[in-house]
Amino acid sequence: MAKFIVRRFFLLLLTMLLVSVAVFLITEASPGNVAKNVLGAFITPEQEASFLAQMGLDKPAHVRYTHWLLGSDWLADGKVGLALKRVTNAEGFVDWWAVRPNGDLVRWKLVGEDLIAVTQPAAGGEAVESVDNERWQAGTDGAQFAWGVDTANHVVRWEKGTDIEVWSFVVGTGWMKTTGGPVEYIPLKKGFIRGDPGVSLRTGRPVADTIFTRLRNSVVLAGIAFVIVMPTALLLGMIAGLKEGSLKDRILSIGGMMFSVIPEFATGIFLILIMAVWLQIVPGATVFGEKAPWERLDMLILPVLTLTLVELGYILRITRASMVEVMKSPYIRTAYLKGLPYWRIVFKHAVRNALMAPITVIMLHVNWLMGGIVIVEVVFGYPGLGKYLLESALFKDINALEAGAMILVLLAVGTQLVADIIYTFLNPRIRYA
Amino acid sequence: MTTDSKSMHPGIHQLKRDLQNGALSRRAFLRYASLLGLSTGTAYALSGLPLPKNAWAASPQRGGVLKVACQIQKITHPAQFSWIMPSNILRQVAEYLTWFGADNITKPMLLSSWNASEDLKTWTLNLRQGVTWNNGDRFVADDVVFTFNQWLDKEVKSSMYGLIGGYLDPSGVEKVDDHTVRLHLKRPEIALPEHLFHYPAMVLHHKSFEGDFLRAPVGTGPYTLETYKEGEVAILKARKDYWQKGVDGKPLPYLDGMQFIDLGGDLAPQIAALKSGEVHMIDASDNPGPVVMKSVKSDAHIQVLPVTTGTTRVLRMRVDQKPFSDNRVRLALKLCQNREKILALAFEGEGMQGQDTHVYPSHPEYCQVATPAYDPSRAKQLLAEAGYPKGLAVDLAVASEWTDVVRYAEVLKQDALPAGIRINIKTMPTSQYWEKWTEVPLGITPWTHRPLGTMILNLAYIADEEGKPVSWNETRWVDPEFSELLVKANGTLDVEARRQIFCELEKIQQERGSIGIAYWMNSWMCASQKLKQITAHPNLYMLFNEAWLES
Amino acid sequence: MSDGEQATTADSAVDDIPPLKRDRRSVFTRLTEGLKFIWASKTATVGLFLVLFWVFVAIFAPLLTPYTPLEQDWKNPNIGPSKAHILGTDELGRDLWARLIYGARVVLVVMPVTDNLWIPGGTAIWGVIVALLVGTTLGLVSGYHGGWVDEITMRLLDAMMAVPIILLYMIIMAALGASAINVVLAMTIVGTPGIARLVRSLTLDIRTREYIRAAETRGESAWYIMFVEILPNARGPIIVDAMLRVGYAIFAMGTLGFLGLGIPPPSPDWGSMVAKGREFILSGSPWAALWPSLAIATLVVGLNLLADGIREESMRYQ
Repeated sequence: MAKFIVRRFFLLLLTMLLVSVAVFLITEASPGNVAKNVLGAFITPEQEASFLAQMGLDKPAHVRYTHWLLGSDWLADGKVGLALKRVTNAEGFVDWWAVRPNGDLVRWKLVGEDLIAVTQPAAGGEAVESVDNERWQAGTDGAQFAWGVDTANHVVRWEKGTDIEVWSFVVGTGWMKTTGGPVEYIPLKKGFIRGDPGVSLRTGRPVADTIFTRLRNSVVLAGIAFVIVMPTALLLGMIAGLKEGSLKDRILSIGGMMFSVIPEFATGIFLILIMAVWLQIVPGATVFGEKAPWERLDMLILPVLTLTLVELGYILRITRASMVEVMKSPYIRTAYLKGLPYWRIVFKHAVRNALMAPITVIMLHVNWLMGGIVIVEVVFGYPGLGKYLLESALFKDINALEAGAMILVLLAVGTQLVADIIYTFLNPRIRYA
Repeated sequence: MTTDSKSMHPGIHQLKRDLQNGALSRRAFLRYASLLGLSTGTAYALSGLPLPKNAWAASPQRGGVLKVACQIQKITHPAQFSWIMPSNILRQVAEYLTWFGADNITKPMLLSSWNASEDLKTWTLNLRQGVTWNNGDRFVADDVVFTFNQWLDKEVKSSMYGLIGGYLDPSGVEKVDDHTVRLHLKRPEIALPEHLFHYPAMVLHHKSFEGDFLRAPVGTGPYTLETYKEGEVAILKARKDYWQKGVDGKPLPYLDGMQFIDLGGDLAPQIAALKSGEVHMIDASDNPGPVVMKSVKSDAHIQVLPVTTGTTRVLRMRVDQKPFSDNRVRLALKLCQNREKILALAFEGEGMQGQDTHVYPSHPEYCQVATPAYDPSRAKQLLAEAGYPKGLAVDLAVASEWTDVVRYAEVLKQDALPAGIRINIKTMPTSQYWEKWTEVPLGITPWTHRPLGTMILNLAYIADEEGKPVSWNETRWVDPEFSELLVKANGTLDVEARRQIFCELEKIQQERGSIGIAYWMNSWMCASQKLKQITAHPNLYMLFNEAWLES
Repeated sequence: MSDGEQATTADSAVDDIPPLKRDRRSVFTRLTEGLKFIWASKTATVGLFLVLFWVFVAIFAPLLTPYTPLEQDWKNPNIGPSKAHILGTDELGRDLWARLIYGARVVLVVMPVTDNLWIPGGTAIWGVIVALLVGTTLGLVSGYHGGWVDEITMRLLDAMMAVPIILLYMIIMAALGASAINVVLAMTIVGTPGIARLVRSLTLDIRTREYIRAAETRGESAWYIMFVEILPNARGPIIVDAMLRVGYAIFAMGTLGFLGLGIPPPSPDWGSMVAKGREFILSGSPWAALWPSLAIATLVVGLNLLADGIREESMRYQ
């Protein structure tokens, strides 16, 4: 068993790796211009190049993938010569600093031709600015260069004495033209496997900030739907399956199938029309603002109902099929022949065996359920992971997309693993080598 | 500002004469006189129109939080806005030098008044005194000079540059004293005060602004920005020391705060939220359409405030690429627009028919031109002359989220078939359309309302000093005669003379221009009946300083 | 409906298929026998009728309506059922019945590759056929060859199956753009792993049969054995599976259309119809979204019933 789980765990990692590469490649291959998407259509080629450089998007694909997966700080600290540290400041913005041996935090900025060190003393207190021109090193072509951490979370190579003209923003004056300046950027990130999915191109904020709230919201929605759907569907499925071909069976299975094959978006919008607009008994959209979903449960009624209608039929049919099969099996017949009471046969012998197939199938079904959740979230404006992913996909927001994809894969494969384990417990005849 | 006729701009006398001999409507007089610095009250007095009193009956209640369904986009530099929605949020936090409402009459905001020299080349801006930033600093001329420099900085890439860069250089912005700024224009321009209310023209704090408004949300407006989470929510809190006073003598605003909640781009959840009272209004400024209005107009809890606008969908053809480099092909495609049908189907008839010229009938200088008829046989003939006797196939790029644009495309496709033009509609997500809206050979681009005809023509249909099409010139169409006439119009104060120039401009654009305009769109501000003292702006700008909520 | 369902049913179904060598009976006899087989099950009969109804209206669409799906009766947009338009009109005044049955064509009978090039076989059908081609080949090779080929193929397919379908759709379509070809491509990528798994499990079973060993002894090539010996004998469950898949494909077209990633306008395919009609539901014209929703539902129900019935009936043969 342990060996089986370990094996499956590695399979999960492999899957995630493959998917992350695939998402990266597909997004890479698709036409589009991130710089224009972010900055608008009027940027000059120079601005575009500068934007791409600052986002690290000018680097080759494999380097970007490595940075995304493993982070870039461990590559960049060698250039700076100091350890790098990520801190979250009081306003919630993430800042990277270099750490001096004495524990002071330091970053640099270029003003004119002077390198200014901004030092945040380890003891606390206001940051101090001082000229730090000792960092300049002589380059090969007579120009001077220096590596350091800038104020926008990059490790930067500044150059001076070159012909490159750079525009930089000076407070109170506006944009200033200088010669030399930043010529290479390494955006600092910890990397996905170290828990940092990076910054979203679309919102400019760390993906992690948004995605966990979104995930939580989706889990709440799916969780409630699951808690309602499962018992109902299993119960109805068994009722239908007990008497195959009866009227009850026909109504339940055809009715369930009808609802499960009307597209979610149609079910959702017609529910809004009937329940929220005509009858006005429940809200037709999910507006939370600052609140969490569980504080406004009334808003969850329609999304949950939509998911329920769509999912119910499917699970019902599986349970029914399984029940039908079990009721025909020899040991049930034997039990009949032994003269055991009907309900005892059903509860003691049939149910346990009949549940085995549906439970595993339902776990495998999580993959499909996610599709339903994405649609329901879009229909009701629900601030969940699915809607976030769709928006990210349309914007080609690679960091957000990767993080979301990884979470979905983790959930899908994870539930499959759980399904396997449950199956083993329910059916002791199966032994995994 | 005084009513002393000596201090009045000489142009006002001319305007008055025009008004008296009937060459100028009272509305147009009001508009021009106030652009020239005449205070609104005086302008109304001279025009003979009654000064409109706010018809707001009940006395306002204080308190309450206004909830708006609105997409929370990524923002950094207000001058870089290319959407109205983010400006509607920050409009409550930062302010403009001037403003105008549905009456299109420009009034001072952070300015107390302005004067223009006789040649319209020197403008003196008198700053309002006693205004403080929400960090406690006084509002001074340095802030205004700093903000102008931001707009005029090519690197900022503000659309303000396209608007004012043609007549103003950074060297022309002079600080006279702490409360006076003088602008020295390169050429006469009358629309300057109106330009100062263009949505990216928020005045920025010169000491704290470093390119990202969210990092230092310092503004003079009635609210402070508490939270701004892209894609989620923006929360504003009322300031206690705002400079405008309410009718009760205490500082505005009446509301305790505002919340902008992102429900996604899809309208259905927003409509449902409005109908069930979860939000008080929908910010439809970037995607106005009759859908929201049609869905809520029979709802007694919701007020629908209509406004006619110059917002439109522009069928734009790039003239530097085949086949639209040939004017006959452009003309043929324009002839395939069955305007009445397009308006009826794409916009449910809620607007005015367009005439393929980017001047809107309510623009003061609009010159009446005939609406071209739908004429596929003439289109076919033109195509044959241009060397396409068998017709031609073209790709038409549209963004799928603007459903009226898609319908426009579908109607056009159907009606262009008899002319031999086979249109292949290419839909794409809106973000992808904006990636390439200046690049596609043929597309339909939404253009928002702007109060003056010259504003749009200067923005999109001219070349810069080096002769290259300006950055918003998506069709690359530059016509020497047109450009020359436009420069002349910019400096012409006399409306009749100006209209004469516009007759020619419109004719040129109709005959050899690069765009088709089939309809001008009406807009609606749809809000809960509880929300009082709001007016609909043609751009659906939220001018909500005096808004209050009935509890 | 996940692929788990097929995995559980495939293994039980494979035993029932007699090893058919060469079926020399006439097409007519085989057809009537097939129909009798379906006729025996009430479920399958109902399903067959639903499916045949849509196939019929799709094929004879031009004869069943005086309108074309693109004709714009622009004085009458968004109206409910009336004498002139039995199901009403959409937002551009196009007849909904005409669009519905021409939409069935796009789904089942022809695929619009570009505006001027339409190929036979509906978009949903092509989605399934291409997935079948790829999936079957992978499954056969994997199952027949075994060893490391099998191991690698199956691990890759496992990884593909682990990716939520909706995620695949979103990424693929957002990256590739909206067109019928891309819809087919997306459906292929999504469908392949399930089919490959099914075919592999069938192959593993059939591989051990006598007649395969006989063919191997005869010195037939591996490809011959896979495609001529194994595949025809595995066809039963594959056909049932394919029917269900056509159902998912129709559903998927709807979902993609809803996300704005389907076939570009003015295509009358059902997904796009619902997606566009949705806008007008809240303003009081629900018809344009209602009919195609019901059409999707009935066709998918029909396919499901048919597949269920066939499966039940074949089990009864045991």
